[in-house]
Amino acid sequence: MEDYKFLFKIVLVGNAGVGKTCLVRRFTQGLFPPGQGATIGVDFMIKTVEVEGEKIKLQIWDTAGQERFRSITQSYYRSAHALILVYDISCQPTFDCLPDWLREIQEYANSKVLKILVGNKTDRDDREIPTQIGEEFAKQHDMYFLETSAKEAENVERLFYEIAAELIGQARSKDGSSAAAAAAAQRQSEGSGSIGLGSFSAKAAQSNCCGGSSSSNTNPNTSQAG
Amino acid sequence: MNTLHLSELISSWDISTTEKVDEGLKRIAAKEAEVNARLEAVLSKQCQVEAKLSGIGRAMATLLTVENDSNKLNLQIVNTAQLAESVSAKVRRLDLARCRASECQQRVHDLIDLQLCSQGVVKAINEEDYEKGAGHIARFLAMDQQLLQRTADDVQGSITSVSDAVRTLEDATEKMRELISKRFDEAVQHDDLASVERFFKIFPLVGCHRIGIEKFCGYICQKLSAKAQKELRNTQDIAKAERRMHLAFADRLTAILENFARVVEVNQPIIEAFYGQECTSLLDMVTILQRECDLEVKNLLLEFNKHRQIQYRIKQVNDSAQRSGGAGGANNSIQSTLGHYRKPSGGSIDKLNPKDIDAIIAEITVMHSRIELYFRFMRRRLQTNAETYLQDKDAQKNIQSDYERVVKQCDLSRQMQEILSTYLLFERYFMEESVMKAIGLDTYEAGQQCSSMVDDVFFILRKSIRRSLTTQSINGTCAVINNVASCLDGDFVTALKAPLKSGYPSGYIDLAQAYNAIQTSLQQGKLHSSDADRVRTNFIVQLNNADMSTEYIETLWQTMEQEIAGTFPSISPVERHLLDGCLTELKTVLDALKATVDFGIQQLRSSAIRPRLNPWVDEFLNYSHHLTEEELSTYEAGETFVQYFIVQLDGLLNSFKNALSPRNYDALVSILATEVTNRLERAIKKSTFNRLGGLVLDQEVRALGTYLTGATSWSVRDKMTRLSQIATLLNLDKVSELSEYWNPENNTEMPSWRLTPNEVRTIFTLRIDFRMEDIKRLQL
Repeated sequence: MEDYKFLFKIVLVGNAGVGKTCLVRRFTQGLFPPGQGATIGVDFMIKTVEVEGEKIKLQIWDTAGQERFRSITQSYYRSAHALILVYDISCQPTFDCLPDWLREIQEYANSKVLKILVGNKTDRDDREIPTQIGEEFAKQHDMYFLETSAKEAENVERLFYEIAAELIGQARSKDGSSAAAAAAAQRQSEGSGSIGLGSFSAKAAQSNCCGGSSSSNTNPNTSQAG
Repeated sequence: MNTLHLSELISSWDISTTEKVDEGLKRIAAKEAEVNARLEAVLSKQCQVEAKLSGIGRAMATLLTVENDSNKLNLQIVNTAQLAESVSAKVRRLDLARCRASECQQRVHDLIDLQLCSQGVVKAINEEDYEKGAGHIARFLAMDQQLLQRTADDVQGSITSVSDAVRTLEDATEKMRELISKRFDEAVQHDDLASVERFFKIFPLVGCHRIGIEKFCGYICQKLSAKAQKELRNTQDIAKAERRMHLAFADRLTAILENFARVVEVNQPIIEAFYGQECTSLLDMVTILQRECDLEVKNLLLEFNKHRQIQYRIKQVNDSAQRSGGAGGANNSIQSTLGHYRKPSGGSIDKLNPKDIDAIIAEITVMHSRIELYFRFMRRRLQTNAETYLQDKDAQKNIQSDYERVVKQCDLSRQMQEILSTYLLFERYFMEESVMKAIGLDTYEAGQQCSSMVDDVFFILRKSIRRSLTTQSINGTCAVINNVASCLDGDFVTALKAPLKSGYPSGYIDLAQAYNAIQTSLQQGKLHSSDADRVRTNFIVQLNNADMSTEYIETLWQTMEQEIAGTFPSISPVERHLLDGCLTELKTVLDALKATVDFGIQQLRSSAIRPRLNPWVDEFLNYSHHLTEEELSTYEAGETFVQYFIVQLDGLLNSFKNALSPRNYDALVSILATEVTNRLERAIKKSTFNRLGGLVLDQEVRALGTYLTGATSWSVRDKMTRLSQIATLLNLDKVSELSEYWNPENNTEMPSWRLTPNEVRTIFTLRIDFRMEDIKRLQL
């Protein structure tokens, strides 16, 4: 028996070439492989992280973005605890497709699934989608929002750690309301210095914390647990 | 020293008296004697010492000679070393000279060959003896061109002849290359296979490996394409008449791929023999052939899509998904009511009947697996080729990764993925529709514990998963397993749960309720006693179905594990994880089913057990527990409470025993036991007992325990412990007797007490003949 308390399934979706595989590789292996080929079907990675003193196993399903793999990738939505919807901030079409993706999520995923909108490639100079547009979209559709750069390793750790923290919160509140209350109280007392759940829970409401490049290093837990 | 010593001795002596002087004298004399003896001993050794000294003197003389000799030797060695060095320098020079000589010889040979070749090649070309000419050119190309140039420079005198020869040969090479290309093209035009092969073998001789491969592949592609077009036209016509109609396109695809595979297989030895030194030749060939293969498969698939109306059917499938989605969010378990299943699939004209696509699905899986096999074949060929011709492991790896790149980029892979996508879409539709149909057509035969849908549904699911395995695609298999899990978790569990949710109609619980029930049914104008029966049977059957399904899922999982291991013997760790991740989805469904069973049993508890059980247990209160000897015998002669109670319980359990599956029945008995003991304990606590009343109670509790234990294979003894301990307490003669039971060491055969000291005291107060102060005095 492996030593972990929670197991969460995270599925990454989004158009081809937005950097899903790079995000996963950066997080699980600390690499940024240039010239990454298109994913075939579904790839699978595991990483165990420690959040709030708990060992958590993250099963990360990295799906192919190309249309012809849709019927494979769709089958993974149902069992996901969290869905990361990725677009490329330097490519308007990948953003324009988001409603289609949401429709698909609506159709196949669990209604209570945690949804995170991620604008990737913040290292690029040719930004086409301003942070605020992404934020607004996320807010509209009840999603969390974060901008990342797999190349510069910016916000990547944070993305997954905050998902883990949020999912723990959900799991605990499911275990029993008293436990949830305790967890909530604990979170309250920890304040903003904690795992960043505070800023994350506020969904896209808190604008600058997600888009700014300076915020990635302010989180002690995230940087230490890497 | 001796003297000093002596004088010291003497000076220290007292020589004041004669006696003492005498004594001193004596001592001196003794000393003298002693010294003399020592002196003699030393003198006696003189001879030996002298002998030894003379020996040393002689040895010294000998050593001198040795020293001389060794000096001489040293000199000699130095000389020899010098000699050896000079010899080896000479040998080196000699070696160098020999090397140069042989190099020179080689150049001479080359020159001679050059002359011969230059003369021969022209002649050969003129005589159209291409093999010979190419042989000459091959010989020429094998020569070091730079060296040849230097030779030409070196041999000043005949510079013209060498340069001429080189020029002749270079020209001839050019000419030959052109000629062979031309002849090859001619041969292709005349469709002269022998000539094609002849010139194909000549290309490497004139240093045109790549051109040779390209030209030859071009020829083969041309042949194959013509063949494919002809056969494709025939496919539909011929296949229609034959039994394999439904596999016509799969067969055609197989034929195409086999053709390409055969080309590679047949030509591999030729390439290895004639193009051997160029190790990428086979890869080049495969790469070129792949382009043609892509094209032909594409044509075939276009035909397939047209003929089998794939696009139209995909649209139908998507439409039906959207329709059910439009009804209130697809796959949302809440809106799936029973009526949803009654919807006949295939009833309306535009709705696709899952049976219609069954054959197409099978055909697609065959097609997909053929392509997979084709790639596997090519991979193996290239691997063995690389292993024989390349020693370097890295170079072997390069060939393989080069081919993987070809595979990844080729159109065939893309087509394959499209096919898989279509397959998954159809398979999901087939599965979901068939499962719904099975649920809709659910029938129950009297005497069975489960209804038809469990067997049907699992048959369909197993079929789907098996079929996914035949695609030879891990991604496809994973997706189908996921779909199976979501199908079970959604439609199937919902269907099982629906009747369980509405509860178990428990007939007339009490008269008032029964009266009300009849009144309402009368008002609604339908009084069917069979109605409630039907709902009851349905409830039990679905409960059994759920229980059976948990077993089926485990079996399904195990067989899948085995079959997956059989289908994908060499699976990578990542793929293994992928499959395991999907298989665990089935386990979550298993948990959902177990929860469903629990839910159903709880429903039974609240609607079937509790309402009926309570009045029976409450009967206990109607009996007197203050018995005289006489009353006791009367009571025992008549129907005792426990007899009545057991008869009732037996009646209740028997009504379920054959209807419920063994596991469900055991769960029911377990719940029943819990309810009985709880209720009876409460009834006991409401009563008071005398000595004989306690005795009777103890007997009755024992009888009840025996009955319940016998009713099931499960151990219900544990559930009875508390009750039998209460009975034991009430059956005591005196309060003080308790100490015999209470201490743990005294009751090894009895389970530890489930009662707290306070509870024990409370129970004792139920015995009217136990005095309060005795109870209070108890040390617990």
